[in-house]
Amino acid sequence: MLRSVYLKTLRDRWLGAAIGVVALFLVAWMGIAAFAGMGDDAEDFIAAMPEAYLSIVGISAEGGVVGMMLGNMFNFMGPFVIAGIGVSMAAAAIAGEEAEGTMNVLGSLPRSRTRLLTSKGLAAVTVVVGAAVLASLSYGLAAVISGETLAGINLTAATVHLVAVALFYAAVALALAAWTGLRALASSVTVGLIVLSFLASGMLPLLDGGEAWAKASPWYWLNGPQPMLNGVDWAPVVVLLGAVVALALVAWWGLNRRDLGAGGARTPLLDRLRTDPRVGKAVSMLVGSGSTRGIATKAVTDARPLMLIGGAFVAFQAVVVGVLFTAIGGDIGSLVDSMPDAILAMIGFVDMSTPEGFYSGEVLSIVAPLVVIAAAVSAGAALAGEERRRSVAVLLALPVSRTSVAARKGVAVAVVPVVVGLCVAAGFAIGNAVGGLGMAWSGIAASGLMVAGLGWFFGALAFAIGAATGRAQWATAGTAGLAVLAWGVNAFLPVNPDYAEWARLSPVHWYASENPLEAGVLWGGLGLLAALAAVLVAAGVVAYGRRDLR
Amino acid sequence: MTDAPSLEVDHLTKRFGDFTAVDDVSFAIHPGEIFGFLGPNGAGKSTTIRTLLDLIRPTSGACRVLGMDSRRDAVEIHRRIGFLPADLALWNNLTGRQTLQYLANLRGGVDWKWVDQLSERIGADLDRKVGEYSSGNRQKIGILQAFMHRPEVLILDEPITGLDPLVQLEFHSLLRETADAGGTVFLSSHTISEVERVADRVGFIRRGHLIAVERMSELHDKALRRITLEFAAPVPAAAFEGLEGVHEATVEGATVTAQYEGSMAPLLAVATQHDVLSVASASVDLDEIFLEFYRDEVQAAEK
Ligand SMILES: Nc1ncnc2c1ncn2[C@@H]1O[C@H](COP(=O)(O)OP(=O)(O)O)[C@@H](O)[C@H]1O
Ligand SMILES: [Mg+2]
Repeated sequence: MLRSVYLKTLRDRWLGAAIGVVALFLVAWMGIAAFAGMGDDAEDFIAAMPEAYLSIVGISAEGGVVGMMLGNMFNFMGPFVIAGIGVSMAAAAIAGEEAEGTMNVLGSLPRSRTRLLTSKGLAAVTVVVGAAVLASLSYGLAAVISGETLAGINLTAATVHLVAVALFYAAVALALAAWTGLRALASSVTVGLIVLSFLASGMLPLLDGGEAWAKASPWYWLNGPQPMLNGVDWAPVVVLLGAVVALALVAWWGLNRRDLGAGGARTPLLDRLRTDPRVGKAVSMLVGSGSTRGIATKAVTDARPLMLIGGAFVAFQAVVVGVLFTAIGGDIGSLVDSMPDAILAMIGFVDMSTPEGFYSGEVLSIVAPLVVIAAAVSAGAALAGEERRRSVAVLLALPVSRTSVAARKGVAVAVVPVVVGLCVAAGFAIGNAVGGLGMAWSGIAASGLMVAGLGWFFGALAFAIGAATGRAQWATAGTAGLAVLAWGVNAFLPVNPDYAEWARLSPVHWYASENPLEAGVLWGGLGLLAALAAVLVAAGVVAYGRRDLR
Repeated sequence: MTDAPSLEVDHLTKRFGDFTAVDDVSFAIHPGEIFGFLGPNGAGKSTTIRTLLDLIRPTSGACRVLGMDSRRDAVEIHRRIGFLPADLALWNNLTGRQTLQYLANLRGGVDWKWVDQLSERIGADLDRKVGEYSSGNRQKIGILQAFMHRPEVLILDEPITGLDPLVQLEFHSLLRETADAGGTVFLSSHTISEVERVADRVGFIRRGHLIAVERMSELHDKALRRITLEFAAPVPAAAFEGLEGVHEATVEGATVTAQYEGSMAPLLAVATQHDVLSVASASVDLDEIFLEFYRDEVQAAEK
């Protein structure tokens, strides 16, 4: 291992990981405090629940309110955040240095590629393990300062499972990036895999005999064996860690057999794909050189990959959900009815027995926001990205004012969420038609619009941060952290009526306060999101015009 | 010249998909030599160099540095060479000194007295973040990291990009010292003047083909010069054709332009038979010299 590379990687990454841990802590603390504030009600509530359901969601009656909340932290928010950090580090391990052009210097040192990869890989492992352990400790802290106990909860075992799963995803990204040299491809494919396996582990068990299939999803092993109750289930953990080692070997093999890239401009695999007559057209459609018609059109077309792949993904999920609902229909009501609040809170207390409620719970509450925020943030951060790539000098040498350049880039923030919203609505419409669910078309259109509104806000936030600081990373990481927090505030504060009002502080609340499939467009919320987005973009444009460029 | 070559490119071919960036290129460089690798943009210089560094791998053929295979012994080769990439990119969040420390740590330590001495010579500023440097200052960090471990072989890809003339001069004397001390310098460039100034030998590459390798001194003997003569009245071109040393003569009204090698005397003898108003003479670009001498090879490469 190369100590300097290892330490530099940690130095570059600790802040992002720390932001993630703090966001997790805040969400856990709010949730525990909200439940604890309910006093005996919460305990009674849990005690009254059927044992079977408690075990499905990995909660012990002894675990009490803390267990309920921590179930979420370990099975949902925590793994998304921590696996996300690991994937981003692993994808950038070598491919990041290639994209930045620094691999030319690193690669000329008397150190083998293998050792570079090992150092970077170990740094990723360190950050994943460190973040997971710190997050777990912070949950303990959250419980203690809320006056709750951790009795009956095996934090260590839950952490071990979380680490194994997060490392697995990171190793997938490492292998993909090592083979292709494409950081963006590796991280987006892996994030797609994470979301897919998350959905599989959540939705397959709803089907008869689906539980067995769900076990194929790595995500299942976060909670399947209920480590928080039963302690570590070593068999799956060992299998996952074995897969990590195997994937690392695959990464090593791939890295040592290929040419290294020399900077952003040269992406051998992509070029090869693009010149391939069979897939070339699709690839250039997706990644394209972008439209060169104008700054605004180029900004929109640059955002195409995430926008279209993400949009297609939600649309596809929406169709599947429609079919699924037809298949399981009536059974689902009774199952969901008795799920604990913490789980229902995540999906906004919808009534899952109606198609509208089922769609809201399965698509609108988690996946659609995730996709629209990711696409909008990447569009929003693109202005600052020009500074990182130093292409800004050329852009601003054009006879166009600086504010106008910024404003035209801002157009993508408006357009990209609309496209994702359209995809959502289209998926709902197809699912509705295929499943014969009879949902109102106006509600479907309203859902698309609300999704777009949420994207506007977070895209504009990323735009404002990027425009004001010139740092694309701050724009992305900062907005992601705030989005996690906003989502947590909206999901968990309403559990306790005393705190419910505070949820209004979260932009996610204005998006999700009612189910648009039933209530139609929430004009108040949408108006607020759009107005705030407009203000943020305007502020960003002004700030961009005033400061020195980096 | 009896020494074993310190750098050897042996029938190297590199393809990217269907595109051949380097086509069957062979040459060797010996200790104590500065070798200029000259060619227009996109000729295949960087591709050749990146293969030497094992950043990319040959489609066929091989490269040897200090007698070792570029693929098999990459790590050992890297220990003993210094490399300055084209289009240098460094870590924007590190200062110049941190960058050098980082790379020095990875090399297992360097002689900092030497580094400080070097940095003083080329006037590098080490205390600011790389992201805040001008491209010339960034390039200086690149030069320092290539020289800091006193490598036996230096591989420099268009190194003077962004450097001011004084620093270029200092840099070139550094190259000369390195070569005089028995080191080997492989210098790629697309500017004739740079190669002319420092190189002992020069290889000319075009569209992936190595057109010629020449000793600089021989090239100067062959050097073409161009003369422009202005007459009071039009003079027939035929008067200058077939003269000793004259390669080409064109007439435009009362102005005659001719390219010649060797002595100017026969040309002047003919010219003074007419009423000469003015004489202007200039050296011909090295590029044109190549084109002139290697017309056939260049034409073959263009196909
Ligand atoms: N990774 C790559 N993929 C495709 N083409 C490449 C790649 N690297 C270089 N080329 C092409 O090979 C040719 C030679 O490039 P290069 O060696 O960089 O030229 P130069 O002599 O200017 O350094 C150019 O036409 C360039 O576009
Ligand atoms: Mg080059």
